[in-house]
Amino acid sequence: MVTLNQVSKSFKGNKAVDKLSLEIAEGEILGLLGANGAGKSTTINMLLGFIKPDSGAISINHIDVVTGSESTRKLIGYIPENVNLYNDLSGVENLDYFCRLANLKYEPSKLGEFLLKCGLQLEAHHQKISSYSKGMRQKVGIAIAYAKKAKVLLLDEPASGLDPLASNELSVLLKSLAASGTSILMASHDIFRVREVCNRIGILKNGILVKELNSKEVSANELETIYLEYMQN
Amino acid sequence: MRQIIKNEWRLLLRHKILLRFCFCFLLILILALFLSNQQHRAQLSTYKIAKDELREQWESIDSMNPHSAAHYGTYVFKPSNILTNLDEGVNGVTGNVLRVEGHVQNEMVYSEASQMMSVSKFGKLKASLILQYIVPLLLMFLAFSTVNSERQQGRLKTLLLQSTSLFRLMISKAIAIWLFGLSLLGFSVFIYTILNFNNLNAELFLRLILFLISYGLYYFIVVGLTIFLTIYFKRPLIALTTMIGIWILWTVFIPNIVMSSVEKWHLLPNRNEFKSAMKEDRSKGIDGHNPSDERGKALEEKVLAEYKVDSLSQLPINFDGIRMQADEEYGNIVWDKHFGNLSNVLIEQKQKVQLFGILSPMLALKNSSMGYAGSDNIHHQAFLRQVEDYRRIFIKQLNDEHAYGGSKTGNWGWKAQNDFFKSVKDFNYKSTELKSVWTYYLTDNIILLIWSIVTILMIFLGTKRMQII
Repeated sequence: MVTLNQVSKSFKGNKAVDKLSLEIAEGEILGLLGANGAGKSTTINMLLGFIKPDSGAISINHIDVVTGSESTRKLIGYIPENVNLYNDLSGVENLDYFCRLANLKYEPSKLGEFLLKCGLQLEAHHQKISSYSKGMRQKVGIAIAYAKKAKVLLLDEPASGLDPLASNELSVLLKSLAASGTSILMASHDIFRVREVCNRIGILKNGILVKELNSKEVSANELETIYLEYMQN
Repeated sequence: MRQIIKNEWRLLLRHKILLRFCFCFLLILILALFLSNQQHRAQLSTYKIAKDELREQWESIDSMNPHSAAHYGTYVFKPSNILTNLDEGVNGVTGNVLRVEGHVQNEMVYSEASQMMSVSKFGKLKASLILQYIVPLLLMFLAFSTVNSERQQGRLKTLLLQSTSLFRLMISKAIAIWLFGLSLLGFSVFIYTILNFNNLNAELFLRLILFLISYGLYYFIVVGLTIFLTIYFKRPLIALTTMIGIWILWTVFIPNIVMSSVEKWHLLPNRNEFKSAMKEDRSKGIDGHNPSDERGKALEEKVLAEYKVDSLSQLPINFDGIRMQADEEYGNIVWDKHFGNLSNVLIEQKQKVQLFGILSPMLALKNSSMGYAGSDNIHHQAFLRQVEDYRRIFIKQLNDEHAYGGSKTGNWGWKAQNDFFKSVKDFNYKSTELKSVWTYYLTDNIILLIWSIVTILMIFLGTKRMQII
């Protein structure tokens, strides 16, 4: 479970996040929509423990992120817009290395299972990452979080630049992870993908959570209208 | 930590350009070691031939006046040990042949003909050239590249989420690159050991280990500092240029500035001054060739009193030999004084240079590299002392033969026979043992160690202030 309580963060006097309060329950996917500079990435970086909030409290599974970042990082999987792995290593080797860094030692067959589970075709497992598409890299990134048994998955613009098929595969994968109890926060510009994948949607503007919606209660078109209204005002 | 190191190595070994570079590097290294070895063997062989020939000439002296033989003298050669194949040190400039004769302490002459021409302009292809200049450069680029690529490609967040700390990540990378440098160093030593397997002994082995430790520490400093700078500066270009700037300071500017300054702080007399001062002091002693010399007269009276006779003609011995030896002994005192002063100045210079290792660990590395290879000035001075000790025994033996061999005073035509000349021992150089000189390199090693520890601290502090975002 992820909790942000009245969290604020400024950079050189500019408010990046302003009194943000959020909760993501186990198995829930929260989508954060917002323009560039709305505070989505700052929120994710605060959750990762790489940026300290100026005020407010952030916790993951009731562990404070600021004081217990070592513990909370063990619970988090992170997928940036571009998943950067080691180009000279294969998908399996990358997964193996990141798992070993987290003191997890899996047999090669198990690593293959993780990759398959995350949608990476078997024939790609031993190919070098340099030959992978963006979508394939993302699958390895998600496999790293999956193998780590991350309780929380943070995604920053994950669907950006993905072709429709890869984007759809990502949606299926995220839903399946949420179904297994993972709390997911997905920051994105992609209104339609967020509407499709997330249980709840928050709209951020200038660091303020201006609107919270249940995705089942709005259609994609309605969501777009609401989003544009907030952005234009 | 082990996983990070292992991964770094895996990435290094998959880096085709790097592997090609390493292949070329190793070929050059093998060539350098092979050429040094050949040169060393050729030099030893030449020395042996010359030494044997000179000895044969000496032993074939049928009959000769001992004092004439003292002027005839002999030559000694400075044999280089096999470690000089790794670092030639000052041997290239000190010369390697010394004429040993009566009355004078000669200077080293005849550096190798091979040092003329192009070699004097470009330097020899020695392993030390590659190990001191090329390997650190390679390590610098590798260390920069490994940290910079993590940063530029945005892998740091993912890596840190895997429960590893930034310090652990960076220090592991430093160790991985350092181990790569050590493997190149180890390869050099391995090739060197194969080429010289039959000549290695415990002393040389110990020197080799200390040689390796010095280089190992230096490589760690270079790698660690590069990693620190790459962490410290957000802009990679600034980090890399700063490190290259520091490296140029370490290898070019600081050593030259320090050497020039130290030479001014602790002035060595120039050759003419040194010779004039020696000559002046020597003139205050007995003139072995001047029977009317006042101090010579005093000695004459003393000897006459000892033998209870009134004139030199009544002496059962040849007073000329005694006077000659007295002249020699006075000359020895003068030499000891001046050479001692010279030696003290050289040691003071060395100590100052060593302290500047605080500014440039390259100075500390060079000192210890030459020292452990036995090719620095300390070893050269030790050789000169051995030669002088031999010269004293050699000349004393000739003067004693002149005095007590059966001739009478003034009988310059008297000749010692072949048996005597055969009995005069040849010069046999005894290599300077590490246990007698190791303290000279302690400062260098401590400085390298301090630099290494400081480098670790810098990485630690650098990671504390490094922004991941």
